[in-house]
Amino acid sequence: MSPYQSVFKDETKLDINYVPYRLPHRDRELQLLMEFFSFLLRTPEKMTQRVIITGDVGTGKTALSQRFGADITREANKRGINLRYIHINCREYRGSLFLILHHVVSVFHPNFPRRGYSAEELLGILMQILDEQKAHVVLTLDEFESLVEREGSEAVYKLTRLQEIRLNKPQRISLICILRSLKAIEQLDASARSTLQSNIIHLDRYSEQQLTAILNNRVSLAFKPLTVPEDTVSLTAELAFSENGNARFGIELLWRAGKYADAEDLDTVTPECVRKAASSIYAVMRKSDVASLRQHEKLFLLSIARFFKQHETAYVSLAEAEQAYAVVCEEFDVQPHSHTQLWKYLRTLSTLGVVKTEVSATGSRGRSTFVSLPRIPAYELEKELSNLLQKEKS
Amino acid sequence: MNVEDFFSSRLRMKILKILSEVGELNISGIARRLGVNYGTTNKHLKVLENEGIVQHKRFGRIRIYRLNQHSSKTKAIQNLLEGWEQQNK
Repeated sequence: MSPYQSVFKDETKLDINYVPYRLPHRDRELQLLMEFFSFLLRTPEKMTQRVIITGDVGTGKTALSQRFGADITREANKRGINLRYIHINCREYRGSLFLILHHVVSVFHPNFPRRGYSAEELLGILMQILDEQKAHVVLTLDEFESLVEREGSEAVYKLTRLQEIRLNKPQRISLICILRSLKAIEQLDASARSTLQSNIIHLDRYSEQQLTAILNNRVSLAFKPLTVPEDTVSLTAELAFSENGNARFGIELLWRAGKYADAEDLDTVTPECVRKAASSIYAVMRKSDVASLRQHEKLFLLSIARFFKQHETAYVSLAEAEQAYAVVCEEFDVQPHSHTQLWKYLRTLSTLGVVKTEVSATGSRGRSTFVSLPRIPAYELEKELSNLLQKEKS
Repeated sequence: MNVEDFFSSRLRMKILKILSEVGELNISGIARRLGVNYGTTNKHLKVLENEGIVQHKRFGRIRIYRLNQHSSKTKAIQNLLEGWEQQNK
């Protein structure tokens, strides 16, 4: 294949944000969602709905809900109903109810000020806007755990009992909460929990055959005909299955394998391309996870990655990481955060599985924390973070 | 207000340019972009509102201003701004 040709027909179809028209092996769940919300197409003012979607990473929770959102919005608009589907990743808004609501309001008023009112007032403002525009919203709170963790029962209660303080007024906001498991909402108080748990859709992990069907579907959308042999899809599906049936992992692997094929000027994406891609991909933490980190979490992680890139050691002490972080902050022209704050970031990164921390006693004078990057190549991580931070800066 | 008095204010013209660029904004947001204080911005917005050129919507304590698209004066000003910018390109 010439240097100007590619195995890809449209590589955007493998992008993390792309939602296919058809979701293989999720037809039943999509139908169920449609049933739950069918009232929105008939009597939207009479009721609201709350649905929970659970499932492991890469089981299609986000794609399912976005497909549903696009379908129902199209259908409602055809019938002259002003329905908006708003999908929010709570982790991107640090689990803050205020920031989440601000985002919803800014869908209607893009330059709405960020300061000068509370989350409760913002909720009132949102209802005022919806009443004025006779609009209805299906609000999807993805990574709902993040909101529960930060705001607890109070926020969930406010969102779910919204209508009770608006007696005899049209109903406006329905909720879809997406989370990995119901464990996260066990910590909520009984009343908040009871309002949420009525409709639960659980997405099982994909089987290898199902993953093959999903990947074949994407291959037909993203690659030129006959460029991806059956063996390549099977191997990718096998690898994705070993990653807990994670379809997203498989799709990303496919994209990377295509890139290897292009780089080597091949006519087809061979299984060897998949193997190369698999060895280069860092399975524990992927692009989407890195992108949703806060700026200083990214800066701190970048400093750790740079340390490992420059030193042939397996561990970096927190003190050394802090020094490297100060240098990175200077490079990006930001004020470094305090030691306590960095400690919190380290805990977040450790929870996400990006870094591993170990506390070791050094003689009788206290303890030191050591950080390692167990499964992620420092070079890859550094490149990814630098790109993201540069983008944010510009 | 006379047309010459109305157009004599540099800040008023800047407010109109800001609102035609961003669509709508609260007073503090406009003041920040102008580099002047809240009171001054509020004063000019009142003049513009009295002339029917801008209108506001209230959300609790917040007032969001936008150009009044139903006013012929607003349309004339927008044409002026657009024509002016195009000539300067």
